[in-house]
Amino acid sequence: MWSLPGFTAPSGEPPGPGPSPGTLRFLAWVPPARKNRWLDIPLPKTEIHDTTRSCARTGPETPRHHAIPAEAAAMNAVEVRGLSRSFEGRAVLSDVSFTVRHGEVFGYLGPNGAGKTTTIRILLGLLAPDAGVVRVLGRDLAVDDAARARVGVLFENNGLSDRMSAAANLAYYAGLYGVPDPAERIDDLLTLVGLTDRRDDLVGTFSTGMKRRLGIARAILHRPEVVFLDEPTSGLDPGAQRMVRDLILDLSRREEMTVFLNSHHLDEVQRISTSVAILAGGRIRAFDSLENLTGASDRPTVTVTLADPDDRVRACETIAGLAFVAGCDPGGSTLLHCTLADPGATPDLIAALVGAGIRIEEVRRSSRSLEEIYLEALRSAEGGGA
Amino acid sequence: MKTFGVIAGREIWLALRNRGVVITALIFALWFPVMSAVGIAAGTDGDAAAVAGGIAAIALLVGVFMGYIFCSDAFLREKRDGTIETLLCTPVSLRRIWEGKTVGVAVPAYLVTLLSAVVTAATVSALTDVAIATEPLLYLHLAVVVPIWVVASAGFIGAAQLALGMRENQILGFVFIFGFIFLIVALQEVSPGGPGLSVMTEAVLAAAGIALVALARFIVGKVTKERIVRTIP
Repeated sequence: MWSLPGFTAPSGEPPGPGPSPGTLRFLAWVPPARKNRWLDIPLPKTEIHDTTRSCARTGPETPRHHAIPAEAAAMNAVEVRGLSRSFEGRAVLSDVSFTVRHGEVFGYLGPNGAGKTTTIRILLGLLAPDAGVVRVLGRDLAVDDAARARVGVLFENNGLSDRMSAAANLAYYAGLYGVPDPAERIDDLLTLVGLTDRRDDLVGTFSTGMKRRLGIARAILHRPEVVFLDEPTSGLDPGAQRMVRDLILDLSRREEMTVFLNSHHLDEVQRISTSVAILAGGRIRAFDSLENLTGASDRPTVTVTLADPDDRVRACETIAGLAFVAGCDPGGSTLLHCTLADPGATPDLIAALVGAGIRIEEVRRSSRSLEEIYLEALRSAEGGGA
Repeated sequence: MKTFGVIAGREIWLALRNRGVVITALIFALWFPVMSAVGIAAGTDGDAAAVAGGIAAIALLVGVFMGYIFCSDAFLREKRDGTIETLLCTPVSLRRIWEGKTVGVAVPAYLVTLLSAVVTAATVSALTDVAIATEPLLYLHLAVVVPIWVVASAGFIGAAQLALGMRENQILGFVFIFGFIFLIVALQEVSPGGPGLSVMTEAVLAAAGIALVALARFIVGKVTKERIVRTIP
């Protein structure tokens, strides 16, 4: 495992996955409440060679332990450690780790076929992992029937019978979950999702959007603490997408649920998520709060363009020694994306680099869109980062 | 126990409202016994015990077939629609889901089988002067052995439909049916009471049916959720 000198994981960080071989692990300093968050963006191969030659390795990799500390389990609604899964010899998930805290709307982004639904299925105990540990509310849902009562799920098919009415579908699941006073709860939910006037109509007569709204009502019927939504706006027109988005936001606020949102719609995730993980090539490429990822937080990103590509390694080393720089992500042969721990430290950064004899062409404060980060993650996966 | 009732109740409700399945079941339940009744009437020479034995045999075969017909709605449909995945995420165990569905399938299948037996008896009565009502073993057969075999058929085929892929299910569905029919005939042949209605034959059939239900329940315990999810089309 390679890391920049001076950039170490915050103390108390649970043993987690290292970057894949040939990647630069960027360990952003984060406040204790934000620990476990990291970016894993691979470098182009030539740059990896140059960089590793100039920087000390941290020593041989230690065996990975995937046990989840009790404290972490209590703090997090979802824990995934070192999760791997392959189908017919094809790795779908490789050493995936992330956490979702209680009350968050967590956006799990990735292209089609990236393994998002596989992750959800493993979390829900429908598939077994090849390696790693997963916990939802500190429990393994594969073996804990009772714990599944605290979790809701919406798959693409909504889990509804077309031959039953909206109310009958909800009543069925209310019976399975043992919802107290189900009639009142069903009425409330049908009102919430705007289907009161269709309560006795067969679901088979509903539009896709109506089915999806009813599916969400079904998923939260038993007031789960965590709800998994798999592509909730897939196949919906823009109006229905907005309705569903508003509904999810309303739920997370009103019912204080942790929402695990599987999606490949960047706009949707950017609008409603508080934290994001990007899955590509079977690995987590980025994982942090949305604010931190996009640089819209109190830790701004500064892009430094070097005049000479040969200065890049020296610049890396200089930046690694600066306390006010939380992290550095080399974005190209002359680009360095630096995350500042102190928002007013840009002049100090320039002074430090100039003082080290590094010639700078441009310094620009920047905030990256989720789309840029996402595309970068995809590029890194395609570039052999997996 | 409550979830068992919820699942069984829903399956009964859905089965009785599935026009396609109900019509198919009724056509088979009425056409097959009428055709068989003609054969029974012609081949028994007015022997009441033989007529009752023929009706019992037909009822058992119809029961097994009804279990198969109604299964497709409860197990296979849920899998084809993918809704089984949501069901597996509820706090209900797979075995309890199977139990509820099996009984939910068996109830309408048994009702149609009883109707079929009544039609067979009425047709035979119309064609002969045999007093079928005086055969108590026929009542025992219809009240105990037939429902056990309907549950066995529904449970076994349901377990297979959960565990196997759609293509395998299409191929194996009829294999199971013919396997059941072969088993029934073989049991009657090897039973000390021989074919036809006898206490010993009924006991053997009931015991074998219960063993099949237990075997199906055991198999369901071995089926993993992963197996089910990965065979969803």
